[in-house]
Amino acid sequence: MPTNNVQSIKESLIHKLQQPEDLVFKENHTKEKYMEVLYIKSISDEDVLLENVLKPFFEITSSKEFLDFLQSHPKASEYECEQKTIDMVMRGVAILFYQDFVFLFDCKMDRNNAVMDTTVETTIQGPQAGFSESLPVNLGLIRQRYPNVSLKVESTTVGNLSKTKVMILHDTKFVDPDTLKRVKKFLDAIDIDMFQTGEQLFDIIKKSNRALFPLMLVTERPDRVAINLASGKVILLVHGSSYAVILPTVMKDLMSSMEDIYQTYWIAKFLQILRYTAFNISIILPGLYVAVSSYNPELFRVHLAMSIAGSRTGIPYPSFVEVLLMLFMMELLTEASIRLPKAIGPTATTVGGLILGQSAAEAGLVSNIMIVIVSFVAISNFVVPINAFSFTIRVLKYFILLLATIFGLVGVVIGFFMLLAYMVKLDSFGEPFLTIIQSKPSKE
Amino acid sequence: MKSINNWKSLVLALLSVMLLNGCGFKDIDKRFFVVSIGVDTAKNSSKKYLVSLKFAVPSSSKNNPTEFMIVSEKADTMSEAVRIIKTKVDKEIDFSHAKVIVFGDEVANQKGNSGINYWFIRRRDIQSIAWVAIGKPSALEVLKVQPKSEYIPSNALFLALGRDGSETPYTISEYLFDFKYRLSERGLDPLLPIIKAEKEIFEINTVGLYNKSQMKLVLNPEETKILNFLRNREEKSANRVTKGKTVIIIDTQKVKTKYKIYTPRGKAPYIKVLVSIEGILEESTRRVPNEKLSDYEKIAEKSINKEIEKLLVKIQKANLDPIGFGLRYRSRHFNNDDWEEWKRIYPTIKFKVKSKVQIEDTGLIE
Repeated sequence: MPTNNVQSIKESLIHKLQQPEDLVFKENHTKEKYMEVLYIKSISDEDVLLENVLKPFFEITSSKEFLDFLQSHPKASEYECEQKTIDMVMRGVAILFYQDFVFLFDCKMDRNNAVMDTTVETTIQGPQAGFSESLPVNLGLIRQRYPNVSLKVESTTVGNLSKTKVMILHDTKFVDPDTLKRVKKFLDAIDIDMFQTGEQLFDIIKKSNRALFPLMLVTERPDRVAINLASGKVILLVHGSSYAVILPTVMKDLMSSMEDIYQTYWIAKFLQILRYTAFNISIILPGLYVAVSSYNPELFRVHLAMSIAGSRTGIPYPSFVEVLLMLFMMELLTEASIRLPKAIGPTATTVGGLILGQSAAEAGLVSNIMIVIVSFVAISNFVVPINAFSFTIRVLKYFILLLATIFGLVGVVIGFFMLLAYMVKLDSFGEPFLTIIQSKPSKE
Repeated sequence: MKSINNWKSLVLALLSVMLLNGCGFKDIDKRFFVVSIGVDTAKNSSKKYLVSLKFAVPSSSKNNPTEFMIVSEKADTMSEAVRIIKTKVDKEIDFSHAKVIVFGDEVANQKGNSGINYWFIRRRDIQSIAWVAIGKPSALEVLKVQPKSEYIPSNALFLALGRDGSETPYTISEYLFDFKYRLSERGLDPLLPIIKAEKEIFEINTVGLYNKSQMKLVLNPEETKILNFLRNREEKSANRVTKGKTVIIIDTQKVKTKYKIYTPRGKAPYIKVLVSIEGILEESTRRVPNEKLSDYEKIAEKSINKEIEKLLVKIQKANLDPIGFGLRYRSRHFNNDDWEEWKRIYPTIKFKVKSKVQIEDTGLIE
């Protein structure tokens, strides 16, 4: 579609772009033709531009032929409106002014497109590669694993300033239309300036209903995404993030590792039981220790009661202070080992975990049994495969501990029931959180 | 408005939970665990009982075993004694691990102990699964015994009475809840094991039979074993059979007893006791060939019949009923005066014991 006001568009664009340092505006001449190129060199791939536009420009002599070439080039599209064009330039698209035409030529520089190894959700067996930080590469990875026509890819933008591209993937055969509607509504309702990665959705969804549990799953594994697509989930891919978001997410998903399907049946079952046990231990154990040792020591066998009583002799503080002290130390250690540079990490763990624990017991600040319990809690906390969920557990145990300190064993039971009631109440985009036990509420 | 209501109900729920908070917060190291309780008669005193509590003193190091401490007090009642003992120790007395209650021989033989018997039941912190026993020569002596093999005070008693350790047909153990049940149930009388304290070991192989208020009869070890058979409680034992000059010992592996009370019209009522014993030959003074085993079985049956009947008659003569024939009779007869009827029948009832012994092999390859 030829336009008459190429000159005014050109001037307006250059004016609106405010002449940044990396803006390139170049004129190209041959005998027959004349073309102007406008792009931002830091985000545009100049090689692509050279290969696909400039070389043919000098090779094709006829001006008519070159126009045909541009019009038929898959990466070139025609000018529509000014605002959209500016947005595109800011993403690395080059603008070609040729004769009466304005073309938008896609030569976005695709940085960070290297596929990374999984680091958070590691498994022993199964695929080891994760996502990259490039949206097209990620989409490609998923398409490779899920080569079905029913896979539908839609896209939208989130973020007032960042205008981040978010792709919504789902399998039209399996997806629940209600859920899809809810997800889209949720994405539309997001009011945020900078949207950089899927994890931010945790915080955003929290603001709407303050959930303590993660109600979406952020994963770095393409195989997990593929499997979830097949079970009717909606996947969000965010530009510039190597994590995909899986919606809706229930407890079952948060407790599953990809390893479950890479193992034989009974081993996978065993691992699952192990995980749920660890989940319960991690939540209950600190509270249970306080409740049993300070309210109901008859629950122990006499040998254990004696050895706990023995190891607690000379401890100046009541049991709940002891537990709090050790848990606090453990939290600090966990936090510190995330922040520390990789080289110092192991040292800190050794110093903190071994030496501090040992000397705390020797100094008579805490009992030996306490060290065992705290390590037990810390280890079982990390058995939970999804990191976001294990963070939740870290917080939950204080709730039970508080109730146990005030009400004893009854507090532990009541606390656990309150937790259960809360989980029953939760839902993720219409899917009840405890989906294995709960059924979906009938449509109102 | 709705959210305020939610908060109100939550606070209300929490406050109501506060009411459930039965026992207060007390750290485990501020508690003094009683592992066994002994009750004796007080000597040279106007008070009735001498109550002794054996406390476990936990050691902070794993290398030295837990020590113990016995505190005794004379008093007329258990409650008073415990309250006075509380003033003698520095920590709160905790009965939750008091798993052995020992009555002195003299206490067992005297009447009027229901006060202390029920004290143990009434205290909610004493577990009903505590074992009750009679101590000889006195409960205090039993508490004082410290076998070399035990790591936690009174653990040897826990193991022996609880069958976690040695399994023997000569020990009859009795739980507190069962003791209380037998004290009050018509047609079922209490029985308590007798623990003899020797220097560093216990000997638990006799049993004392109670009527509803005091100990009436003491059985010897062999009789205790038979009683255990009749109660279907223990199957591993050794039975001696004599045939002429040959003495064989049967190691029993399965003992089952059934009994039925017959009250035919116009005839004397009788109790039919069926005992089946399976076992292997463990020891013999002479060679016993396989084909001769049935002879020995017959002889064993005869001698077992005689022994069981003798014991049953002995118990009957003392007018005791530890096996619960009376209860069985009452459960099968629905007239209003069944208990009076049984009291009339029991002293004259006949026992017909029929045993079946099966010796599986001689234990040797021929």
